[in-house]
Amino acid sequence: MNPFTVLGLPTDPDLTDEQVRAAWRTIAAATHPDRPDGGDVARYTAAATAYAQLRTAWGRSEAYADLATDQPHVPAPAASQPVPPGASIVRAVMLVPARIRHGRPWHLLLRALAAAVLSLVVVRLLPGQPSGPAMVTGLVIWFVLTGRGDLAPPPGR
Amino acid sequence: MSIWSWLKLTAALWLLRKMIKGIGWLLVAAVAVTAWPLTIVAGIGYLAAWLRGWPPVRLWRAAAWSLPMTAVYEIGEGLRLRAWPAVALAPVTDYGHAWQLLAAHSMLRAGLLVAPVAVPAGLGIGGLLWAWRIYAITTGLAGLTASAPIEFDTRQWRRQVRTARGRAAAPGTVPLLTRTGHVVIGATIRAVRHPWRPILTVPYRSFGRHAVIIGSSGSGKTNLMMRLWAGWYAAAHAAYLRREGNRPLLVVLDCKGGPDARVKAERTRRLLHGVGARRVAIWPDDARLNLWDLPPRDLGVLLLQMIETGDGAAAYYTDVMQAVVNLAMAAPGGPPPNAASFLDRLDVEWLETAYGDGLHGAAISRIRAAKSHIGDIQLRYATLLGRLGPALDGPGTLAGADAWYCILEGTREASVAEAQAMALTELVAHAATTAGGERRAILLAADDYSAVSRRVPISNLYERGRSLGLGVQVSAQSWQGLGRDEDERYRIAATADGGIWLMSTPYPEPVVQLAGTRRVLESAHKLIGATWGKEGTTRTQHAWTADPDLIRTLDVGQACYIRRGGATFVQVARPKPSPLSLPAARSPSVIVPPPAPPPDDEPPPPGPGSGPGSLDDVLGPEASA
Repeated sequence: MNPFTVLGLPTDPDLTDEQVRAAWRTIAAATHPDRPDGGDVARYTAAATAYAQLRTAWGRSEAYADLATDQPHVPAPAASQPVPPGASIVRAVMLVPARIRHGRPWHLLLRALAAAVLSLVVVRLLPGQPSGPAMVTGLVIWFVLTGRGDLAPPPGR
Repeated sequence: MSIWSWLKLTAALWLLRKMIKGIGWLLVAAVAVTAWPLTIVAGIGYLAAWLRGWPPVRLWRAAAWSLPMTAVYEIGEGLRLRAWPAVALAPVTDYGHAWQLLAAHSMLRAGLLVAPVAVPAGLGIGGLLWAWRIYAITTGLAGLTASAPIEFDTRQWRRQVRTARGRAAAPGTVPLLTRTGHVVIGATIRAVRHPWRPILTVPYRSFGRHAVIIGSSGSGKTNLMMRLWAGWYAAAHAAYLRREGNRPLLVVLDCKGGPDARVKAERTRRLLHGVGARRVAIWPDDARLNLWDLPPRDLGVLLLQMIETGDGAAAYYTDVMQAVVNLAMAAPGGPPPNAASFLDRLDVEWLETAYGDGLHGAAISRIRAAKSHIGDIQLRYATLLGRLGPALDGPGTLAGADAWYCILEGTREASVAEAQAMALTELVAHAATTAGGERRAILLAADDYSAVSRRVPISNLYERGRSLGLGVQVSAQSWQGLGRDEDERYRIAATADGGIWLMSTPYPEPVVQLAGTRRVLESAHKLIGATWGKEGTTRTQHAWTADPDLIRTLDVGQACYIRRGGATFVQVARPKPSPLSLPAARSPSVIVPPPAPPPDDEPPPPGPGSGPGSLDDVLGPEASA
């Protein structure tokens, strides 16, 4: 059983003592067997066990580690589980929206606007000229190279 | 020759020289106007490099990245013209059209028409001009005043710092780790005899060697070290997941202790969780280690080192103590499993009983010889182990966690911290050498090492670590804090082939000597009155690779990385793991504290029974008030 869930907390080893204690007090007050309505002994017991486990930072670290070990994210060896070609690219593309959200979206938006406006100006001023697509290529390269800095780093980095 | 003739000749020669110079400048101006697209791009590039403190290589890299634009242009011309000679001449043709557009006052269109070729070429030329300017100024060949090189350098440093700060603030520019597994430290301010890259990265493999970090209090040393630890952990963890390395184990010894250490420990724990560490233990606050897991021989040596012993006549007592400790460790029945058992053994009766099987005559003789001292020895060890507390007498092992943050109270209890540091370093060395157990990639970091540097032989660990795959990082607030004496300090610094990190410190000279010098040109000008004459000499001089004056004035968060005879000044980025690394359940990033129980939920008075504790026990007296 996930002790974090039992206390209604996110599975996060970096919770503070106060957050855990507050969650425990709320559940204990609502489910204690001394209540006039008899409380909820099963829930109270589970919460008490979870609180005993999560009351210290080390306990939370241990509980988190145990949960992570139960659901390992360690990939199998390459030989037994070959990664299809292009899978990493697909994964990287899928992560882009989250990276934008957690990065500097307004900076990125400004860059994108600047690149788009300049591209439009180029296309409008040089219709049918090879310099037009070349300049747009240059602007795209500029946007990709500088815009990377506005994204949040990918997971694990 | 009369004076009048001489004067006329001199005037004519002066006029001739000025004319030649003037014609030269006119030619340059004509070329600049003729090649106006290149002139504009080169000028912009030069100005940007000057204002932002870029080195020339930055412009050349920009030129290289512009080449795909030129390639697309050439492909477009090829598709349009379908004749190679015409394609080759297309830039010239477009250049002619651009002049026509200029004549028709359509300047923007003219510029855009020739930009695909003009941008890379102009940036390349701008880089060359900027390189020449730097050379001319720094060697004293250019500049209006004698102090021009100094002013130029100061101004450029200021601009380089500003640019680096901007770069270090961009989250995607300074992740903890690059795609290729290098550890990112921050944005480069200036590189001397190191290749310039916008971001300073350190190869993960170099952490297997030894590094030294020196910086005064408040210089940003903690941020740098946390970045190194988290970056190393992320890189080692990634290598482990790829099956290219062993599981990482980070051991941090915070040798100063105090409340600040707890804050740092918690921050380090959060950071390490973010890069994949599961169990991060803080010792001795929430986890213990077992000293008695060490092999008996190593444990015996360590126990003797942990007690302060003397030289000269006192060496006699040291020998007696060593003999008694060895007897206690090697007693039949195995080594002691804990401190209490060890203290029990420091007793004449216990030792005589243990060795009294008739097979250990020599041991019995030694026990009798040391009989009068055994009580004193027990007293000393009881005192030492009592001061060490239960933190080294617990059930834990280093292998049980991914990272250990060990807090030693070096400021408050120096002798205890020294003994703890000895024990912990021995445990780390043991973890690195244990045969049969899981091999771990280990990094041992000793922060504020000066607090325990009196007796801890970490330079020995350095040398042992090389063969054990054990990386060692030592940090100190000053050169003097690095070791007991000058020999030890040089031994630690000179073997730091993983690099030396210098932050603001008042005495960097011994370390910058290790970086060596570089040859520079220095020009002396002849002064005519108060003005600079045209004659002078240039000679080769030696200058510090890592300028000690610059290091003394480094701002918070700036560091100088010295390695292999080169130095890179860097603006260290604040360490933050990717927010995407965190577990999915974290999505409500701000945890709202649960609401207080409503009034009708007031708990009743505690009831009797042995079941769950009463509400008062759980919530405190205020709950039933």
